[in-house]
Amino acid sequence: MDYSREPHGLYFMIDNKSFYASVESIERGLNPLKSCLIVMSEADNTGTGLVLAASPTAKRLFGISNVSRQYEVPRDPRILVVPPRMNLYIQKNLAINKIFRQYVADSDLFPYSIDESILDMTKSWRLFGKTPEEVARRIQLRVRRELGLYTTVGIGENPVQAKLALDLQAKHDHDLIGRLTYEDFGEHIWPMTNLEKVWSIGHRTAAHLQRLGIHSMGDLAHVNPYELRHEMGLIGTQLFALSWGIDRTELGNVRPPKEKSWSNSQVLPRDYKRQSEIELVLREIGQQVTSRMRHHHQQAGCVSLFVGFAWDGEADDGRGGLHHTHRIDPTDNAHDIIAELIRLFRQYWEGQPVRNIGVGLSRLSASQNLQLDLFQNPERQIKNNQFDRVIDELRDRFGKTAVIPASSLLRGGTMLRRSALVGGHNGGNSFD
Amino acid sequence: MGGIVLIDTRKEAQIVVERLDPLFTAQWHCRYRIDVVYNQFGHGFNFFLDIRRKNHRERSIPLHTVRSTDLEILENVIDQVKQQTDLTLNFVDFGKVRWPRSQRWIR
Repeated sequence: MDYSREPHGLYFMIDNKSFYASVESIERGLNPLKSCLIVMSEADNTGTGLVLAASPTAKRLFGISNVSRQYEVPRDPRILVVPPRMNLYIQKNLAINKIFRQYVADSDLFPYSIDESILDMTKSWRLFGKTPEEVARRIQLRVRRELGLYTTVGIGENPVQAKLALDLQAKHDHDLIGRLTYEDFGEHIWPMTNLEKVWSIGHRTAAHLQRLGIHSMGDLAHVNPYELRHEMGLIGTQLFALSWGIDRTELGNVRPPKEKSWSNSQVLPRDYKRQSEIELVLREIGQQVTSRMRHHHQQAGCVSLFVGFAWDGEADDGRGGLHHTHRIDPTDNAHDIIAELIRLFRQYWEGQPVRNIGVGLSRLSASQNLQLDLFQNPERQIKNNQFDRVIDELRDRFGKTAVIPASSLLRGGTMLRRSALVGGHNGGNSFD
Repeated sequence: MGGIVLIDTRKEAQIVVERLDPLFTAQWHCRYRIDVVYNQFGHGFNFFLDIRRKNHRERSIPLHTVRSTDLEILENVIDQVKQQTDLTLNFVDFGKVRWPRSQRWIR
């Protein structure tokens, strides 16, 4: 393989070791690597509890993994259980990225998730050390000294190498640093046979590859890329590039998605069987999505409704849920959108118990002036429109729960309880 | 933040006690303890309620953070918390230092 024309940069992919659990350990004066701590969410819709993060020691001693359920965790007094504080983790993430900014220009830092960031060190690494490893070590020590957190660094000549170096090498390395280059990529990656461990290969893709007789990264690198493309489509080409450590992404050059859309969904705290309760939540979500869209001065020409059935409902007719989309006249009016959602729901729902509801708005356009409908009372239309905007303003100024429909107080409403959550979990105490 | 922040110790103690109240349910065979942690990275003092019950997992629930590293302020808060609860206080990561006012060892 001729790599001479591929981009040769230097990328760091840095992640925090057991981020939530580490933050909570430090807050309690415990060493993040030695403490046996798990962060457990007990939000309404997580059942009896869901493990959001486990410290390395908890993982090792008890085999607890993230997203374990409460009942899977042994009742052992050595395990320390703490509730999540999402706002605190967001603050810590900002603090970490602030440290990273001292090593790269703002435009070369790409936060990837709540605990991972990509740093394009191509231009700046020589300022901080003789080798990339030395620079990585320096950043690790700095984060450890200022925030107490342990970080893992993957180094590569392009982003995908950095990501694989992080996932496959650094996490098992004593210094928590891993490095891949074009030259040694095959040597380190090709022997891998557990394809699911490799970034971007999921359960189904791995199974598909197995069926094609591809059982290791080395096999993948030595198939005919045209045949792979024929079999798997564009993904085939991407996987082939992955197996050779090739990534031509220019991170600074973000392409906006062709068609943007707004959507919200939620898992309900229990199975909802009564139509009125389901419709109540549907209204709440409809209200929320429309309001988000209005904040971006847009209107939707298409609404979609997703309803996921509870397990026992699924047994009835073999369907896991329903998904329907319908075109409408472009509007940003919550009342109209909700009416459409309810209509869709009533048309297709056949009494199955529901556990999952989602609403999407697409075919967006800039909302300009109100387009009056010739056949309806114009004053009423103007009033409806103003009503939505006043509600938006009230919520912006006084918080999401400043005004709520009285119906949200009925049994089944989830809006009030959810308004205190961040990313679906407890945000932490106020005034902190 | 930035600049000088005035801390009302009475209010801080009140927040701790108010959050403690619904959590301290006084169960049998259960040990309750308030952990006070000096967090050198977060520049403050963290309060947690630690609950340990026989044959159960230990639980630690955040109560409050006093955003100051001034021991005098903490001493005031602690005095007021002590007036309203008899739970054991456990001081973590303070090292061997004395309270500025009472001159007793922090422990």
